[in-house]
Amino acid sequence: MKNTGSGSPPPQTSLPALGLIIALLPGAGPVAAQDAELDALQLADTAPTEVQAPSDWRRFVEAGLGASHLRSSGDTRSTRRLSLDIQYDHALNHDWRVLVADRLDLGQPALRGREHAINTLKEAYLSGRLQPDTLVDLGRINVRNGVALGYNPTDYFRAGAVRAAVSISPASLKENRQGSVMLRGQQLWAGGALSALFSPGLARQAEPEGLNPDLGATNRQHRGLLALSQKVGGFTPQLLVYQEESLPTQFGFNLTGLVTDATVAYLESSAGRSPSQLSQSLPAFAPCRCSAWHNRLSAGLTHTTAHKLSLSAEYHHNGGGLDADDWRQLRQGPPAVYAAYRQWAATAQEMPTRRAVFLHGVWQDALIPRLDLSAMHTLDLTDRSQRSWLEARYHQGSVDYAVQWQAHSGRPTSVFGALPDKHGWQLSLRYYF
Amino acid sequence: MKTLRRLLAPVLACASLTLATHDTRAAPSPQEILVASDAVRNPDFPFGLTNTLTEYRQGKQTDSSTLAIYSRADPNGGQFRSLVRYVAPARDASKLILFNGKDLWFYDPASKASIRLSPQQRLLGQASNGDVVTVNLARDYQATSAVEEDTQDGDRQTRRSHRLNLAASTPDATYARIDMWVDVATARPLKARFYADSGKLLKTAYYRRYQSVFGIQRPTETVIIDGLEPDWVTVMRYTDWVKREVPETWLQRDYLPRFRPE
Repeated sequence: MKNTGSGSPPPQTSLPALGLIIALLPGAGPVAAQDAELDALQLADTAPTEVQAPSDWRRFVEAGLGASHLRSSGDTRSTRRLSLDIQYDHALNHDWRVLVADRLDLGQPALRGREHAINTLKEAYLSGRLQPDTLVDLGRINVRNGVALGYNPTDYFRAGAVRAAVSISPASLKENRQGSVMLRGQQLWAGGALSALFSPGLARQAEPEGLNPDLGATNRQHRGLLALSQKVGGFTPQLLVYQEESLPTQFGFNLTGLVTDATVAYLESSAGRSPSQLSQSLPAFAPCRCSAWHNRLSAGLTHTTAHKLSLSAEYHHNGGGLDADDWRQLRQGPPAVYAAYRQWAATAQEMPTRRAVFLHGVWQDALIPRLDLSAMHTLDLTDRSQRSWLEARYHQGSVDYAVQWQAHSGRPTSVFGALPDKHGWQLSLRYYF
Repeated sequence: MKTLRRLLAPVLACASLTLATHDTRAAPSPQEILVASDAVRNPDFPFGLTNTLTEYRQGKQTDSSTLAIYSRADPNGGQFRSLVRYVAPARDASKLILFNGKDLWFYDPASKASIRLSPQQRLLGQASNGDVVTVNLARDYQATSAVEEDTQDGDRQTRRSHRLNLAASTPDATYARIDMWVDVATARPLKARFYADSGKLLKTAYYRRYQSVFGIQRPTETVIIDGLEPDWVTVMRYTDWVKREVPETWLQRDYLPRFRPE
């Protein structure tokens, strides 16, 4: 400040202090607020007027680059991936439509076995309306039941559905999978619905070849499912009856409820007589105990804060999985038997052991707009092994930028300690077009 | 005849309100004013529209979404139930949200997952669920007072208005309290301020760009200004209004995987 040479210097008031003084003047607050609202209305005058038209297509390409630290050798393995994902939903006329969803993954090193290119025909079916409330579908359909996040005992069509696991996130495993060929009908009424489907056995062996439609993975045996939903008060329970060729009937149940305006509770359960998982994976090694009744369930809560942070906690129970003693015996037994059991559980997307805890968090618009942070943690309560996964995803315009990190810990041959990657990360870029 | 009565209902509501305001012996109650302003905003038959949301922060456009909304009033309570389908952006296209009171479901066609949402889980950035879908405020709020005063509307015009004080009267209400300005002559909602339990101003909404829709003048744009950050602004524009059937059977979780826009 220049000296005016007139004795005592003039009061020096900084701009922020001046703003504070003005803000404290009587009536200044409402005036400032009114000015801000006028500014907002002027800004709104400039909002674009064009309206986006719906499209039959949803397409994106995604490139991924990552590295993982191998548990066995201590080496670091780099990975590269390029994926093309398309979804097409076209109305043929007022009552009929055709839907196709397909994904092609190219990977280095191989995504599975020796396959560097794996195509997943997720869906291809014809959907029609016979009556206003009577619907029918025919073709390859990705049917998914269940209300839980981490483990879905009533998702009866998950076995053999994942061809290339590009991420361990539950959302990715549910998105990037192939449906089963089936005929499905649905009757709707106010507050309820009944669905029935039949999925025939079309091939007895899975086809590992990358570009094969792989009907043997999803349509190995005849299967049928009935699902009944009916709104009762504030609840809409769903009952399911599932029948698979040469296996006993399974009964499923899904229920959700609002605990508070910010918290949802959910329960998903499947029960029935069945062989143990060990018998199913190794019929020669473990004779069938078909009369045993097995319960499988997921029970959890999701709480959302006022700042768009949703936290979920789930308890998983798999009555068909191995208890602590059987799991220890298997791990100490012949490696080939252990490997066969793990392979079966991975293909079936079933828990190898009996109990686990699953935590999941999503924070939308975290710290800055359009940045979503996600975290997932699974603790196997049978052998105390753990898996952690983190993701930061930023989306702008037609592009998503994501970085993922995951780690597996536990003793060798434990549920997560046996996985080849100790920890790893991946950068990905997705472009919608 | 029934259809004609339904079409004329908003007009009659406004007319009776206008007549009532000129007759001091039969001044409309605050709740009647609120009912009349609801009738201006919302048709009283099932309908569809496109809602284009544009979000600004610090004067710059930061986000944009387009939603197709199908609404139908509950024959029991009168509150609207809505099915919302994302049209844009591409990453969200064809995702669905079912609003049926506190029974909220989100469906993602990519994962085929139907997820139960809590009312706290918001659909889009600044806009709450209640801002995006059709809501009859008179069903969830009780207007406790109506004070006549001048106010500036969304087009920066001074209007003679009733300032209504609304208090949440059902558990389905999104906000604890609302101040709402309704044009004395036409029952048009002009603006509203929404408050939390704590008394904190959450947002201000201006209802503007009145155009003839289904025979009466209705607001075709809502400007939402954040209470804490006034430079966080969301513009919601309503287009493609169409009277259409929204069958009762659509408004349930099991229909979401089968939904097909028409």
